[in-house]
Amino acid sequence: MREYNIVITGVGGQGILTAANLLGWAALHAGHKVRVGEVHGMSQRFGSVIAYVRFGEDVYGAMVPEGKADVILSFEPVEALRYINYLKKGGLVFTNARPIPPVQVSMGLATYPTLDEMKKIVEEDFGGKFMAFDAEKLALEAGNIVTTNVVLIGALSQTPGFPLSEEGIKEVIRISVPPKTIDVNMKAFELGVKAAKEMLGL
Amino acid sequence: MAKVTDIVLWDKPGEKVLLLGNHAIARGALEANIAVYAAYPGTPSSELTDTMAAVAEKAGVYMEYSTNEKVAFETALSAAWSGLRAMTAMKHVGLNVAADTFMSAVGMGVEGGFVIMVADDPSMWSSQNEQDTRMYAKFANVPVLEPSSPHEAKEMTKYAFELSEKFKHFVILRTTTRSSHARGDVVLGELPEEIKTGKRKFGKFKKDPTRFVDIPAHSRKFHPLILEKIEKIREELNNCPFNWIEGKEDAKVGIIAPGLSYSYVKEALAWLGVEDVKILKLGTPFPVPYGLLEKFMDGLEKVLIVEELEPVVEEQVKTWAYDKGLRVPIHGKDLVPRVYEMTTRRAVEAIAKFLGIETPINFAEIDEKYEKVSQIVPPRPPSLCPACPHRNTFFAIRKAAGPKAIFPSDIGCYTLGVLPPLKTVDTTVAMGASIGVAHGLSIATNGSLAEKEYKGGKEKQIIVATIGDSTFFHTGLPALANAIYNRSNVLIVVLDNEVTAMTGDQPNPGTGQTPHGPGKRILIEEVARAMGADFVEVVDPYDIKATYETIKKALKVEGVSVVVSRQPCALYRIGQMRRRGEKWPIYHVIEDKCTGCKICINAYGCPAIYWDPETKKAKIDPSMCWGCGGCAQVCPFDAFEPMKEGE
Ligand code: SF4
Ligand code: SF4
Repeated sequence: MREYNIVITGVGGQGILTAANLLGWAALHAGHKVRVGEVHGMSQRFGSVIAYVRFGEDVYGAMVPEGKADVILSFEPVEALRYINYLKKGGLVFTNARPIPPVQVSMGLATYPTLDEMKKIVEEDFGGKFMAFDAEKLALEAGNIVTTNVVLIGALSQTPGFPLSEEGIKEVIRISVPPKTIDVNMKAFELGVKAAKEMLGL
Repeated sequence: MAKVTDIVLWDKPGEKVLLLGNHAIARGALEANIAVYAAYPGTPSSELTDTMAAVAEKAGVYMEYSTNEKVAFETALSAAWSGLRAMTAMKHVGLNVAADTFMSAVGMGVEGGFVIMVADDPSMWSSQNEQDTRMYAKFANVPVLEPSSPHEAKEMTKYAFELSEKFKHFVILRTTTRSSHARGDVVLGELPEEIKTGKRKFGKFKKDPTRFVDIPAHSRKFHPLILEKIEKIREELNNCPFNWIEGKEDAKVGIIAPGLSYSYVKEALAWLGVEDVKILKLGTPFPVPYGLLEKFMDGLEKVLIVEELEPVVEEQVKTWAYDKGLRVPIHGKDLVPRVYEMTTRRAVEAIAKFLGIETPINFAEIDEKYEKVSQIVPPRPPSLCPACPHRNTFFAIRKAAGPKAIFPSDIGCYTLGVLPPLKTVDTTVAMGASIGVAHGLSIATNGSLAEKEYKGGKEKQIIVATIGDSTFFHTGLPALANAIYNRSNVLIVVLDNEVTAMTGDQPNPGTGQTPHGPGKRILIEEVARAMGADFVEVVDPYDIKATYETIKKALKVEGVSVVVSRQPCALYRIGQMRRRGEKWPIYHVIEDKCTGCKICINAYGCPAIYWDPETKKAKIDPSMCWGCGGCAQVCPFDAFEPMKEGE
């Protein structure tokens, strides 16, 4: 495989960098050349955040170029739309469904688009697929809201053509999280897998 | 995925790991048997410093968080003078702070290897400007190495120490945000015995005033020596393992790609499907090794230089070509933008234009569609965290000083006070500048209390400067001395959150903690008192009313007032509580009491509070509330209260 590109987006503080790092390690263990691009510092303070995970034989830079993301994995719906220019034609947008309205929206200075509007843009203008599901609810079901990122990764692992094995990712999660949270994380992963299977009709 | 601090010390040569560029550099320094490391944190360089702090004791390295880049530079430099391998790191603007020492000491050279890691931030993701450190390198005649991948960053670090030692000269290791904050596969090398056993190394300083005292008589000898050294280094770099020629040997077109641009060029060529080119991969953008350049240029009919920011390589290549009488067209900044960071797209577009071919996808079409989308996507700039003590301090300052006051501020999380609804930041320039600017504004508008002409009083322009604790020690101190000494009329509020928050919670003199254990804590209020400030008090920003009243009181004082607003950084505090498994109160809105006045949103702006357009009431996102109780203090209708157990 020459390259596989994932763009992860969301709001600072949602565990985006952890998710990117987990996927990076899973790709490394699978024998790929890997690049993970992150943002640090000021941009992380509850602002919009983007991280990149790329792997394959032919990866060099840490940023996914516009029009080249196989998947956009988003922790917050409007953040998927903000970076939609990265999606390749036929690419997939997977997003957590619960909006976190930015302060500007609360202050009445901007409006927040609906999920239907977003879906329309992704599918009609960018030729992609849009799927939203309540990953946070599933994380709570698994036992802890902080496992939302693991739910999303579980879902990601089921997308058509995804090159990393479910087992490989789970193994990295197992050795990365604090020992007493392994079960919760595994459950979160499974719930993500299940949700994706349903959505994708697998 | 093991802990980074473990990986960096792993005695597993040949093991392939995923490391951040900055972590890879730390590993490189350890593989090079570094003895002393000193730095002031600055994004995007900070993780290198934090990693060194975390492993220093085990590796027998002396490590310190210095109060600013200049003293960090001097600490490391002195170690290198004493024959030890030493390193300092900073962000690009940090080199401006260290520049005084840097420019003067370069002629003195070093004994042990001395590596200055400078992290540039093209596109200014977390910085106040965009400057190209390679210009400094050229200015000072210091070689600069620039990695194209995390693995190369590690290898280059080792090489940088060797190069420095060989020529007894400074060496700059330059990264950018995208190399410092990129993870990639890195193959671990051997760790020296001393690092493995944690043996601390000590040096010896040999006195030589003709070398270490830069009085004019001595310095006059330095300058020609520096020029001689840099030309010798240029020669040496013909054989540098990070410079090479690749691609089609008999190609008619060539591309020169320094540093990280090499990775973008490789990717662009693959995407474009172009194979008929020769590439000069340059790990040393300054000085460009002419021997290698000559070999590369042989047979070429046109050349493109793809480099980020300033035309540093381009100017060297063009000058060289002119002197050689070479008539080959050399392109660079005419096709590659000079501002903002390099991207694969930029490389693709430049190369396509250079070769007269089409780009593989239609970027203009994406842009056009995206333009429409960006209209409907609401902005989400970074904001002060929930429960951030700075929000309360700003809120109190705004209320006490009124809208006509001027608010000079500084570099740190609190710069975010510029955004609505707080809008309590009118100027930020550079580290420590808030106090200097506040003083200058006061002199310009009020005059100095030391002047015979001073009238003050009636139309006094209220000026309230804000500065963080770490910044205060960094460069706020001389500015405070200046303001007190020259008697301006300002209020300086030190936002003391007991940690250097924005760069990742590093300690500073105000915390008294060092990587080796407790140092000595220096209290800001004591410093201000000792300096002779006219009013000094400490407040708790979680008590908004008390903070407001103290500020009111301070504003009545003529002269320099200092209010220290002290409460730990919320992100830091919550992180610690989470680790200890502790809980904190979560607030909620009592619907019946909320009148929908929106003060909590429009004047206070905690990100955990949002507006529910259906009920027309404020609401709190429980996953974001960090329980400071600020909302309960600003709400005129008592609509906020902590949730009870089980609610
Ligand atoms: S990191 Fe700390 S200082 Fe910075 S905004 Fe968050 S709470 Fe405030
Ligand atoms: S208590 Fe109120 S102000 Fe403090 S973090 Fe929670 S919602 Fe924000």
